Amino acid sequence: MTTGQKRQKALEIISRKDNGRLLTYLNSCVHCGLCAESCIFYLTNKDPKFIPARKVDLVASVYRRYNTLTGKLVPGLTGARELDGDTIKEMIDTLYGACTMCGRCSIHCSIGIDIAYVVRAGRSMLATMDLVPATLQSTVMAAIETGNNMAIPKEDLVDTIKWLEEDLQFELDDQNAAIPLDEPGKKIIYTLNPREPKFFPLSISAMAKIFYMAGESWTLSTEMYDVTNYAYFSGDDTLAAEIVNRLEEVTLKLGAGKVVLAECGHGSRAFRWEGPNYIHRRYPFEVVTSIELLKEYIDTGRIKPDKSKNKRRVTLHDPCNLVRGGGIMKQQRDILNSCVTDFVEMTPCGNDNYCCGGGGGQLSMSEYNERRMSAGRIKADQIRATGAEIVVTPCHNCVDQLIQINQAYKLNVQIKTMAEIVADAL
Amino acid sequence: MEWFRILALISAVVCLTALLSHFIRLVRAGKPVDHAIRAGDTTRGIIYSITGAMSPTKKESAYLHLPTYTAGIIYHLGTFLSLLLFIILLAGFIPSGILRLIISLLLAVSTLAGLMILVKRFLNNELRSLSNPDDYISNLLVTLFHLMTIAVLNFEGARVFYFLEASLLLLYLPVGKLRHTIYFFAARYHLGYFFGYRGTWPPVKQ
Repeated sequence: MTTGQKRQKALEIISRKDNGRLLTYLNSCVHCGLCAESCIFYLTNKDPKFIPARKVDLVASVYRRYNTLTGKLVPGLTGARELDGDTIKEMIDTLYGACTMCGRCSIHCSIGIDIAYVVRAGRSMLATMDLVPATLQSTVMAAIETGNNMAIPKEDLVDTIKWLEEDLQFELDDQNAAIPLDEPGKKIIYTLNPREPKFFPLSISAMAKIFYMAGESWTLSTEMYDVTNYAYFSGDDTLAAEIVNRLEEVTLKLGAGKVVLAECGHGSRAFRWEGPNYIHRRYPFEVVTSIELLKEYIDTGRIKPDKSKNKRRVTLHDPCNLVRGGGIMKQQRDILNSCVTDFVEMTPCGNDNYCCGGGGGQLSMSEYNERRMSAGRIKADQIRATGAEIVVTPCHNCVDQLIQINQAYKLNVQIKTMAEIVADAL
Repeated sequence: MEWFRILALISAVVCLTALLSHFIRLVRAGKPVDHAIRAGDTTRGIIYSITGAMSPTKKESAYLHLPTYTAGIIYHLGTFLSLLLFIILLAGFIPSGILRLIISLLLAVSTLAGLMILVKRFLNNELRSLSNPDDYISNLLVTLFHLMTIAVLNFEGARVFYFLEASLLLLYLPVGKLRHTIYFFAARYHLGYFFGYRGTWPPVKQ
């Protein structure tokens, strides 16, 4: 495909007449600029190019140039822009490098524009033109080519799991305690964020311990266990659909009736919410996040946490894609209230919570590291104000970013997943 | 009927037709399609989107910017009042007595609100960087509309200028950002539908 043809394809994304949602948002912004303070990038850099309205306008101005009368006849009147080299350069820097698609600005937009959705549409345009930052694209391609975004060989995963299984048997003093691999006919297929076997194996142990205590029928798949979907971040719907298809196929192959999504904000969102729209059909099985499952175990008495085992002050970081983008807000609070004695909220929290800065594929785009760590100051300030010793977050990308924030801003806190804090209370 | 009334009437018809075409385009685009299994209530999400979510206590764009938010509300109320008066004046009626005085005073306040927003756009570096000519023209046309409404209520000689200004505004409305007259409601609908579908809105008590 020539460059011109690619640009034409990119323009088709914002010219579709059957996407009322995008059509609405591209015609709605009044440039009031009141969204500025909702964005962690603007709050920490005060650069006008980080104002969410500016990000919307980058996409909307191109829409106006090719799809409105004034844009075609008098482009200068409404600031309509050609999809040329300068515009594309600005789009890459701002839409990929200064946005985590956290959606906080969408909640607070004076008009009601889902700004994160418009940013993703802009990223899709760039993906169509093969202009995804190479660092992010390599993460997507690792998942496509190797089955997981960290390119972990199957033997390494199996070795890690077997080692964890032995530890689990020792801890529980039960030789039958297991981390099942590729076992067909189980009720649940559990997924992992590849960061877990690579860097944080204890979170796998924690979940395995919980499954053991709950007497659950579950398995992992060595063929497809990766809950992440970085193509959601890159804007490439074709690759996103391929990743979704793989997990669907392996679930059907193993005959599991339920997919339990590991603690990963964007992964949960990409499979639970966006996935059926990538593949244009509903899954023939149930999909829940591990947070919903943990809550169910506690509510039904399948596990009985003892909160006196967690006496240190704990705060919660809400992953944007799980909370704003997935409607899971009360469950993690109920779990914490059952498992710790001193739980304090950040301010603001829940739907209003600030992104940690690690979302949107930022963690994989090393060229924006400085910007990402600078944006993390907001979260550092929030954590410090709680006086907490432990920060719990049900998202491995957030864990990674929080660990870096912890070091950079000298917070001296411990970062844990929800499964870890629950397992500590068992 | 005077020529300027006819011009205003034609402009109103053009404006309404153009806005209707925007509306039809949105309707033709169809309702949102989501293959994921719904977790919340879209109707409640939409209702929250146009009620609670708009509350100044919930919306950061409001509670962090109360003077601008208040000016914006007053400005929009003044615009609705001016549009209502436009219909009345087009039909040849002119409010009189204390009613005319009250309306004039209310519109004087909304004119000031409009000017404040316009001046802010000129003076604030960040806002200026977001703006294009349409932003200034739209604000100016609407603010002048408020001002000319005051004028026509109190001075018969202002009629020609009033209807000319109203015609200009009505012809410009569908082509610039003022078309958010239609898209604002669609945006609130889509945002409410999206967050309602996923169970994010209305928010649960923590």
